[in-house]
Amino acid sequence: MSTFQRSRSAGRPKIDFRLIAGILGAFTFFMGFALLIPIPVSIYFAEETVYSFAISSAFAFVLGGLIYFIFKPKDEIRPREAFFIVSVTWIVLSVFGSAPFLVSGVVDDFADAFFETISGLTTTGATIFGGVSHDNRINPNIEDLPKSIVFWRSILHWIGGMGFIVLSIAILPFLGLGTTNLLHSESSILESDKLTPRVQETAKLLWGVYLILTLAHFVLLWLHPKMDWFEAINHAMSTMATGGFSTKDSSILWFDSAYIDWVIILFMFLAGISFAMHFRLLRGETKLFLNNRETRFYSFIVVLASFLISTILIFQTDYTIPEVIRHGTFQALSIITTTGYVTNDYGAWPSLALIILIALFFTGGCAGSTSGGIKMFRHMILIRAVGREIRQSVHPKAVIPLRVGNVIVEPPMVRRILSFFMLYVLLFLGGAVILTWLGSDPVSALSASIASLGNIGPALGEFGPTNNYAGLSAVGKWALSLLMIIGRLELFTVLVLFSVPYWKE
Amino acid sequence: MKIVIIGSGDVGFDLSTMLSREKHDVIVIDQDKNALVKASENNDILTLHGSGTSASDLLKAGVDKADLVISATNIDEINMVASMLSKRLGAKKVIARIRSEEFIAPGAPIVPSDVGIDSVINPELSVASEILQLVKRSAASDIVDLANRQMQVIGIRLDHDSPIIGIDIESYALQNKNIDFRVVAILRGGITLIPKGSDKFRANDHIFVIALNDSIKQIIRSTGISEQSIHNIMVAGGTSVGRKVVKMLLDFRQDWNVKLIEKDYDTSYKIASDYRRLLVLNGDPTDPSLLASEGIMDTDVFIAVTDDEESNIISCLMAKHLKVKKVIAMVSKSDYIPLSQTIGLDSSVNKKLAAANEIHRVVRGRNLLNTVALNGIDAEILEFKVDSRSKLVNKPVSKLMLPNGCVIGGIITNGLARIAVGNSVISDGDSVLLFCRSSIIDEVSSKFG
Repeated sequence: MSTFQRSRSAGRPKIDFRLIAGILGAFTFFMGFALLIPIPVSIYFAEETVYSFAISSAFAFVLGGLIYFIFKPKDEIRPREAFFIVSVTWIVLSVFGSAPFLVSGVVDDFADAFFETISGLTTTGATIFGGVSHDNRINPNIEDLPKSIVFWRSILHWIGGMGFIVLSIAILPFLGLGTTNLLHSESSILESDKLTPRVQETAKLLWGVYLILTLAHFVLLWLHPKMDWFEAINHAMSTMATGGFSTKDSSILWFDSAYIDWVIILFMFLAGISFAMHFRLLRGETKLFLNNRETRFYSFIVVLASFLISTILIFQTDYTIPEVIRHGTFQALSIITTTGYVTNDYGAWPSLALIILIALFFTGGCAGSTSGGIKMFRHMILIRAVGREIRQSVHPKAVIPLRVGNVIVEPPMVRRILSFFMLYVLLFLGGAVILTWLGSDPVSALSASIASLGNIGPALGEFGPTNNYAGLSAVGKWALSLLMIIGRLELFTVLVLFSVPYWKE
Repeated sequence: MKIVIIGSGDVGFDLSTMLSREKHDVIVIDQDKNALVKASENNDILTLHGSGTSASDLLKAGVDKADLVISATNIDEINMVASMLSKRLGAKKVIARIRSEEFIAPGAPIVPSDVGIDSVINPELSVASEILQLVKRSAASDIVDLANRQMQVIGIRLDHDSPIIGIDIESYALQNKNIDFRVVAILRGGITLIPKGSDKFRANDHIFVIALNDSIKQIIRSTGISEQSIHNIMVAGGTSVGRKVVKMLLDFRQDWNVKLIEKDYDTSYKIASDYRRLLVLNGDPTDPSLLASEGIMDTDVFIAVTDDEESNIISCLMAKHLKVKKVIAMVSKSDYIPLSQTIGLDSSVNKKLAAANEIHRVVRGRNLLNTVALNGIDAEILEFKVDSRSKLVNKPVSKLMLPNGCVIGGIITNGLARIAVGNSVISDGDSVLLFCRSSIIDEVSSKFG
């Protein structure tokens, strides 16, 4: 850093709001482009929504562009500002993202529109469509929505899956210094998985792999006669983002095709693996891919859970064995990867199968994947930490570093993960308390809370696979929206903004 | 010989002491004035305050006219640069202390000769290898590999109940006619004897035997000592020797259960991170309650290699008291070596001696190929090359008029080693392994030189 830059940054406040505003302006402007994407779809299907998207987009362009040019951010983004930028960006994006729902009139309540948008961006996949709200408004069924609006929901998934900010870093050259801080506040990709020395290159590679996998998924779905191109493209985006929005109210169950189920199973599985690993696989480094501890642990959990659920279903339901394996694997993967697709009303499953599924609500895919949840690497480290603690009790004086495979996990990382877990449990319980207080039964409240925090989507009971979130009160929707953002940004990015040291020290 | 030593740390200081006593002209360079004062107070050497990586300082010390430059600082990189400079400036021979094994591993991108180093010494590695040998042969108190590992000299302590007590060496040899070996020395009450055939073994004798590697086991058995099976090993001290020992032990046998005790937490953590199968304990190795809670009673071998020699002795005594089958201590202070033998330590290893042996391998006479000193015994193993001018050629060993206190142990012909017996004949071009009392080394050397 040159002397000139150092002297300038020394004069900056602890939290540089001019910089933050400028960067937020840039992101808002960029969101304008995203809002243009559904327009060809509206034109193709000759829908009136073309104006809603145009208006929303213009609004984003003007406001975002204006703010950007007033503040012209040039300084380096420091970690403190990165937390703020990333958290607020997600809220701002949700506001602009909900505009098409409101302008087109398919939703007439801001809380509903915001909930739907944030559920899309965070790849939760909880929907308010197809139900009656608490104040007796009737939200249309998904199948009755304009195609462009359905498409917009999938676009929200797809952008939010790999991360809007990661995409911006990949494409926008003017974001400048400190973007690494932004990347790590939004993406769960591990520092060790940074593919190239330059963060922009890494972001480009990640999005490139994401695009390739989405296209491959699209083609495989399209091959099936029950899927037209529009449905295939929506489901491809939704699966790769581990989102869960479907073009049908009854989700994947509607198609009732073994081929479609297995294609989606494959791509849900892939979406749950770190995209840095996919990049290595595409580059031919198969060994690295196969030997990755987290990928192996994830695969093990997927196989184990599918096997257990299928076995229970064989004995306790009337399905044939191929059906049982298909539904068991699909539903297990759908929950583990936090996608939230439904092929079978798991709410009606035998209790033993259901309790396994509930346990899976607390898993999540690998770090650096598009999935949400606690994620496999944290579980691996938590398990090892427990094992280490037991060994330590036998040898009180022993120095036992925590290892995953041959990698040493340093104590600060272990501490961070332990606090993450504690915080996760507290947020989960807090969400459940609020929902119960608003009138839900405990099972619905607990499951909806974890389904939002883990970005899964469908829960149990009144928010179960055959229901939706329309009937929840506005307060409940805001609470769950907040849980979704907190969960998507892996707790600390958002929660640090609510801490005293962030503002005072 | 004119010798320049760079660095007057532990190894440098010991080497300057040893080499000045051997009547070489020694100049020591160091950046620490106090270390130089200490070195010159004790020894007849010249000191120079300066840096080993400065060409002008090296010239002031006269490396351009030196027969030998030894770079013995604690830092590999300094030793390498100093060696490079010295060689460029005209030193005849350069020895460097390199502790990193990466430089000497096969396939290393830079080998020592690339930077003008003729010979590498690594006393820590030598000591660690010696410890591994001692663990492998738990009955032996000392082990020296000779003739490219074809032969060994081993030390054995005779207990009261050993079946060979009271027997003379000749009858003992007759009892074991099928084994080729030779008893080359006996340490009795602190006095070193080079024995004749009529000498008898006594209880508490510490005998040294030379034999081919394959026969070592039989010899140990014939003395009535059973080789212990080893399972649990405890190492005290995460020093560089400790780390190397631990690595060797873990690599050698998968079923050995190795524990390491280290005082410093950060060092413990570092070592624990490096070796998965090792259990590292953070504590004081002289703390009996720690030793007890970590199962000292079930430990087969206890190895103390901390930098604190007194604590090595104490912790080994404690381990011995708690019925550990074998204890090995790293003791380098010459005053402690006779002591460590009388108070009942099974084996001691000596870092200084390891360094000295390595240097002696390089600083030697025309026909003297190798010398090895043993810890606590007043005799050395010498390896001579015999050429046609020597009076010893083509005569059976029993007819050679060797001075008292000197015995021929082995003969190496074309790289193949055999044990010397009475009617063995030395030919032109053979090498001879001699066991020789320190006081007559010069006399023997002249006979072979």
